[in-house]
Amino acid sequence: MVKMETAGDDVTIDVRGLSKTYPGGIEAVKGVSFQVRRGEVFGFLGPNGAGKSTTIMMLMTLIRPTSGVATVNGFNIIKDPYRVRMQLGYVSQDLAVDDNLTGRENLRLQAGLYHLSKEEAEARISEVLELVGLRERCDDRVESYSGGMRKRLDIACGLIHRPRILFLDEPTLGLDIQTRHEIWRHIERLRSENEMTIFLTTHYMDEADALCDRIAIIDRGVIKAIDSPATLKSQLGGDVIYLRFDAACEHATAATLEALKELPEIKEISPRGEEHVVVARNGDWLLPRIFETAQEKGARINSVSLKRPTLDDVYLAYTGRTLRDGQGSREEAHRQMIAMRRIRK
Amino acid sequence: MTSSADMCRAVAMDAEPGLTRQASFLPRLSDIYWVCWRELKRFVGQKVRIIMTVIQPLIWLLFVGNAMSGLTNNPFAARMLGVDNYLTFMTPGVMIMTALFGGIFGGMSVVWDRRLGLLNKMLAAPISRAAIPLGKMLAAGLQSILQATIIAVIAMLLGVRFACGLPGFLLILGIIFLFSFGLSGISLSLAAMVKSHEALMAMVNFLTMPMMFTSNAMFPAKAMPTWLQTIARWNPLSYAVEPVRTLTTEGLRWAGISGGFAAMFVFVIVMSVVAARQFERSIS
Repeated sequence: MVKMETAGDDVTIDVRGLSKTYPGGIEAVKGVSFQVRRGEVFGFLGPNGAGKSTTIMMLMTLIRPTSGVATVNGFNIIKDPYRVRMQLGYVSQDLAVDDNLTGRENLRLQAGLYHLSKEEAEARISEVLELVGLRERCDDRVESYSGGMRKRLDIACGLIHRPRILFLDEPTLGLDIQTRHEIWRHIERLRSENEMTIFLTTHYMDEADALCDRIAIIDRGVIKAIDSPATLKSQLGGDVIYLRFDAACEHATAATLEALKELPEIKEISPRGEEHVVVARNGDWLLPRIFETAQEKGARINSVSLKRPTLDDVYLAYTGRTLRDGQGSREEAHRQMIAMRRIRK
Repeated sequence: MTSSADMCRAVAMDAEPGLTRQASFLPRLSDIYWVCWRELKRFVGQKVRIIMTVIQPLIWLLFVGNAMSGLTNNPFAARMLGVDNYLTFMTPGVMIMTALFGGIFGGMSVVWDRRLGLLNKMLAAPISRAAIPLGKMLAAGLQSILQATIIAVIAMLLGVRFACGLPGFLLILGIIFLFSFGLSGISLSLAAMVKSHEALMAMVNFLTMPMMFTSNAMFPAKAMPTWLQTIARWNPLSYAVEPVRTLTTEGLRWAGISGGFAAMFVFVIVMSVVAARQFERSIS
């Protein structure tokens, strides 16, 4: 279970025991609790069907929780949905922009729905267009936009009412590598220059690793772990070093291994085939020490490789499986197919 | 993220207090305006759709209207039609029919909005859910006014004269607006429940065709067998056709107009409430 912290001033989203059971008995979210701090990038990591979107939809006040409470900037999601919505910007994974309108018209619509006055709206529109770098193309119809441009327009729509918190549901789903990095840069900028709190869901490990200050690993409606990517990885036991000694000097090899076992950084050494697997902390610092020891004892190392744990390993450790694709409904499949087509256009 | 079908069911059943009641604050006019604004922008952007709204009635009037024009050579038939020119009889029917199609397919936009994620985006905005169907209904009504005007111009070029003059013509547009507004309410209410456009199309087609052929839109009720007359009398389409036809052929004869007008007002109020409730209760 996740330890309950008391909500301080730096907490923007405070979720306590939130759960959602759909009629028919499907428990999508089973009593999750977590806090998102002001100004951080918080990631929800988990496969499709893990409960990520249901949690976001509850925080967005689009779905009513079965039990539990949550506050966003102090506003209760059940009692005060209108104010909660004004705090939040929401960018869904669907590329929800209207192809038949121009970029500017999409933004104008969004501004209207968030009750901005005409002058305010025009000012904000130029502001967000600048922010996502769409100024030149803003009067073209969205039909002619690339997937990356649509995504940026969608993000701009989510920013029009200057929310303090931005929800990004799978922000780079289906985008090519180059465009993904571009979106990442925009997210980084929003955080550093605009001091926004960003809550994102993803099932890309590298994305969570690159962007998030803290990650919650969610699986089957339960939060398995919350921490920074680095801590989560180090909790796995550290780095793994694969050593292959020259078989000719067997005696020296044994002496070397004995000496290495004395080092406090090394947790475990075990033979695997012709290799020795070393589990240790501070692998990069340790490598030169290993070479020195080998030289002292007269052993020869033929090959060496250092492997750092990835978030994939973390995920595997917490959930017992790799990120799989869950099965959604037919409607869901349709939506995703359409979103993909629009992205790749 | 369980399947969205489950979500819909869940939310549909969430009719108890809580979020649903909270979200049902009265819609602001500006929210309705913006939903409608978007629909009209889309409409104007789709040139093919506008061209088709001109071509379709033109074909009806030119082909069907001319093919049937021999009918009025028969004095007996002319008496049943109440006019000496079938085109004059038919024009109100074509106007209402165009409004019928425009209105009844209004729900399709919701199905698409849902697929593209635009519906969720609107639901996440701090607006009343009722503003979504009402804005779309308003747009459907305004579109049918434009279409009816185009049809009227074409009909006048073909020799039809409106007995009611310009003020009466504004009344015609008013009825057509109300009719299309209400009909799109039916379609939107269905679309709030149905998730696929195939299912919605099937339901809508099931409604449209019988409605058209059991009404007095194309043929005078007097020429129908008694049982069909009974159906035609109860058909909502007939209520819309009646006042428009009276205005077109006889002018401002209040006895022939007021009943239909009253019926349209009731229809619009009922459908506004039903559609608004549908959207407050069920989401994506």
